[in-house]
Amino acid sequence: MPPQNPLVDDRTVDFILFDVLDVGALLALPAFQEHTVEGVKIFLGATRRLSREVLYPAYKPMDEAPPRLVDGRVVVHPVMKELYPRLVELGLLNATRPAEVGGQQLPFTVMTLASVYPMAANLGAYGYLGLTAGAARLIESFGSAALKERFMAPMYEGAWTGTMALTEPQAGSSLSDVQCRATPAGDHYLIRGSKIFISGGDHDAVENIVHLALARIDGAPPGIKGVSLFAIPRLRPEGERLVPNDVHVAGVIHKIGWRGLPSLALNYGEQGDCHGYLVGEPHRGIHYMFQMMNEARLMVGMNGVATASVAYQESLEYARNRPQGRPLRSKDPRAPQVPIVAHEDVRRMLLRQKAIVEGGLLLLGVTARYADRAEHAEGAEARQRARWLQDLLTPIAKTFPAERGFEANALAVQVLGGYGYSSEYLPESWLRDQKLNSLHEGTTGIQGLDLLGRKVPAEGGAAMMAFLEEVGATVGSALEAGVPASWCARVEQAAGELRDVTLHLLGLGQQGDAEAMLRHSADYMEMMATVVVGWLWLWMAAAAEKGLRERPEDAALFEGKRCAAQYWIEGELGRVAHWAALCRSGEDSYARMQDAWF
Amino acid sequence: MKILVALKRVADPDNANKVKIPPSGDRIDTAGLEWKPNPFDEYALEAALRLTEDGKAPKARAGEVVVVTFGPKETEQTLRAALATGADRAIRVDVTDDKLDGALVARALKALVEREKPDVVLMGKQAVDGDSNQVGQSLAELLDWPMATFAATIQEEQGALLVGREVDGGVAVLRVRLPAVVTVDLRIVAPTSVYSLKTARTHKYNDGVRFAALPAIMASKKKPLAEVKLADLTADSGLKVQYHGFEPPPARKAGIKVKDVADLVARLKNEAKVL
Ligand SMILES: Cc1cc2nc3c(=O)[nH]c(=O)nc-3n(C[C@H](O)[C@H](O)[C@H](O)COP(=O)(O)OP(=O)(O)OC[C@H]3O[C@@H](n4cnc5c(N)ncnc54)[C@H](O)[C@@H]3O)c2cc1C
Ligand SMILES: Cc1cc2nc3c(=O)[nH]c(=O)nc-3n(C[C@H](O)[C@H](O)[C@H](O)COP(=O)(O)OP(=O)(O)OC[C@H]3O[C@@H](n4cnc5c(N)ncnc54)[C@H](O)[C@@H]3O)c2cc1C
Repeated sequence: MPPQNPLVDDRTVDFILFDVLDVGALLALPAFQEHTVEGVKIFLGATRRLSREVLYPAYKPMDEAPPRLVDGRVVVHPVMKELYPRLVELGLLNATRPAEVGGQQLPFTVMTLASVYPMAANLGAYGYLGLTAGAARLIESFGSAALKERFMAPMYEGAWTGTMALTEPQAGSSLSDVQCRATPAGDHYLIRGSKIFISGGDHDAVENIVHLALARIDGAPPGIKGVSLFAIPRLRPEGERLVPNDVHVAGVIHKIGWRGLPSLALNYGEQGDCHGYLVGEPHRGIHYMFQMMNEARLMVGMNGVATASVAYQESLEYARNRPQGRPLRSKDPRAPQVPIVAHEDVRRMLLRQKAIVEGGLLLLGVTARYADRAEHAEGAEARQRARWLQDLLTPIAKTFPAERGFEANALAVQVLGGYGYSSEYLPESWLRDQKLNSLHEGTTGIQGLDLLGRKVPAEGGAAMMAFLEEVGATVGSALEAGVPASWCARVEQAAGELRDVTLHLLGLGQQGDAEAMLRHSADYMEMMATVVVGWLWLWMAAAAEKGLRERPEDAALFEGKRCAAQYWIEGELGRVAHWAALCRSGEDSYARMQDAWF
Repeated sequence: MKILVALKRVADPDNANKVKIPPSGDRIDTAGLEWKPNPFDEYALEAALRLTEDGKAPKARAGEVVVVTFGPKETEQTLRAALATGADRAIRVDVTDDKLDGALVARALKALVEREKPDVVLMGKQAVDGDSNQVGQSLAELLDWPMATFAATIQEEQGALLVGREVDGGVAVLRVRLPAVVTVDLRIVAPTSVYSLKTARTHKYNDGVRFAALPAIMASKKKPLAEVKLADLTADSGLKVQYHGFEPPPARKAGIKVKDVADLVARLKNEAKVL
């Protein structure tokens, strides 16, 4: 029997947490004093086991039996009724939240690197939890005490689940076009309107569902400044009872991935009796959502890493066991075939996956650590700097794992050859799952515009300056650790190219030519993501040098990091110059292209 | 009911290919191995927790579960994890693996049992590193207590346990008076394997062992974890088992294709000598 897919490499996660990110130092911050490295390890251990032993075996059955609409209600795979309480029981729902709401104030960094396991095991199942955490968090941050008691508490307890109900048919990327209506009616509002793609919007795994929905109060100003946030339960509490709240499923979206989690078209108020409860102040809905967006985008980024990781592990094991072909120099047709991992070209495909997956893990880890520091570091200056870096890296941490992760998922299929193209094997299902991550929580296009149009120019480019300083510091410590000087120089050079192009584009922006500045925002995103991951691989290479000296028994782990670092720095960073040239030239093929010419 | 559970930390059997033997052949090189609790001992802990609770409300413990391990300081993480899944107290006997054998562990456990006075000692049927399958039996003998090995089911009764034992071809049920030693097998963690007097017979547990929840991990920091010197438990730390040398198993030979059934039978008879 082949060993079970480990989902994610434990030693790499430990290496990133303890050797690279030095979580021990993070735990020394006053906010995290209750936590210990030992406790973090036990938590990781429990999360790994739940993921491997409970969530992963349910993945394929859930993918094969997607949700169905039966008599107006959505019926999901029955195993979800067992999985949800077990995810909740482990403490994943509110791990990072403060004690006042039943949480444990675990560093977000730890939670982020722990969450890769349940995501890799069963993305759809984890989705219920991620959405509920987001919905409860919105009420925790902005809702009244009464709303907290009525809706947040049952969600954090795991009794009810939540949704994020933003999208409407005419309002996807453009949330300012939300049309859902809210009419004041005493202590509540009457809601009327339609939503689409609402994940977890109905199901039979728990008793009740709370939608955190965007809607416009009658007479509100147009655009973003007229959108409010409401809590809309499927069943509303009336006295001791829960009564139907006029929320209806209009249809189930037939999705190519994430098939364990229903995504629905919903109608509110078909009978004029849908009560919604205003969260926070009127017209502040988008503002509230944006405050949550950072963490939600990091969660999506980790979805991407996780989905690439599980497929990488699957293809690695396959390559070790699939005999096919002989070494290039072998002339003897009677010699036995070798496992395909013996072929250099197969190792190329595996190493590329590894570089993307592990680079992505650290990308999410380091961004989460900036998030922790932005809230809890000592000194206002340190917090400010961490916030800049978190904001700058977030669109990249969302996009790199989605886009390069999709490529990694395609490589996993490729390693399995024709078998990878068959649904008897799992890699094709992860390829389908992965595609969503470039779409939801802001499409890749929107992230590119956000990065170059907002995050880079913010505060006069302060975040970019801080980032370049971080790269410089890593180059210094990598040289000291004994990383080849040529790798350090290569990363420094790529960061310099990024800096120069950024100055050029910001100059265009200052001249008022926003279109020219943003024309190559997609290329800029690719370029910067590649530089960022180059920086992270240099950092891992430095930690690996140290590791080789101090723990020679783990040489295999560290040699693997060195090879992947070399792959990215010597191989991938060469592409930076190409993207830089495109951004600089203002090459305008698609800008000139007209609709009628396609 | 008070239960003492013996927990051993073993090299992860899934990483068995990382086990190295130095050229001297006098020991196993444990550097770089990953460690985890012996699975059968984890099942014993799960059984102990089930026996000291109402399955409907597993956070409250009826009685006490004490876990004990023999090992260096690092093994405290294994104990802490056990505390986080519900055990009340932990004891670490400070000693390294190379200074232990099954007989010595049994002698030390006997002394610990005399101190702790549990109603039941629960342990795995064997540890998956040495696969010796001896400590439970030796301990029962030293204590002169009733014993049931290879338990697949346990049901609590007044002053006794009804234990279903895995035997060739089925399960043999026997009743052991308390105090007793029970060693457990794989199926003890099935959903309907263990019932305390409090747990309704209709209750179904999750399949497998329970995992440490984050709030319980935090709370476990405050649970007592005591260190005991081996010498305080037994004056005789001599070993009955001497290791004379280690060598890796021979590499598996490549298979062959046989011509036909007659060839197969002939080879099974003459070469493999299994017929
Ligand atoms: C499986 C699934 C689950 C989902 N779950 C939820 C959920 O739980 N809650 C929720 O509220 N929503 C959910 N969504 C909706 C998701 O957030 C939207 O699909 C997403 O915001 C994109 O909106 P859209 O589909 O309308 O695409 P559009 O906005 O129509 O975009 C189409 C294309 O045009 C591009 N584009 C659009 N506007 C611009 C612009 N201004 N400049 C440049 N390019 C532009 C986009 O990049 C994209 O490539 C889900 C979607 C899916 C597929
Ligand atoms: C939908 C579909 C339709 C098909 N239709 C037909 C058909 O009509 N007729 C037919 O005969 N076949 C058909 N095939 C089979 C197809 O041609 C094979 O899948 C293909 O040749 C790859 O072989 P494989 O699947 O055994 O993969 P493998 O050969 O096992 O390859 C697995 C991986 O190892 C790599 N690899 C293998 N050997 C080497 C080497 N020596 N050096 C470096 N890398 C190596 C490959 O590049 C690949 O990434 C079909 C396959 C599919 C999926």
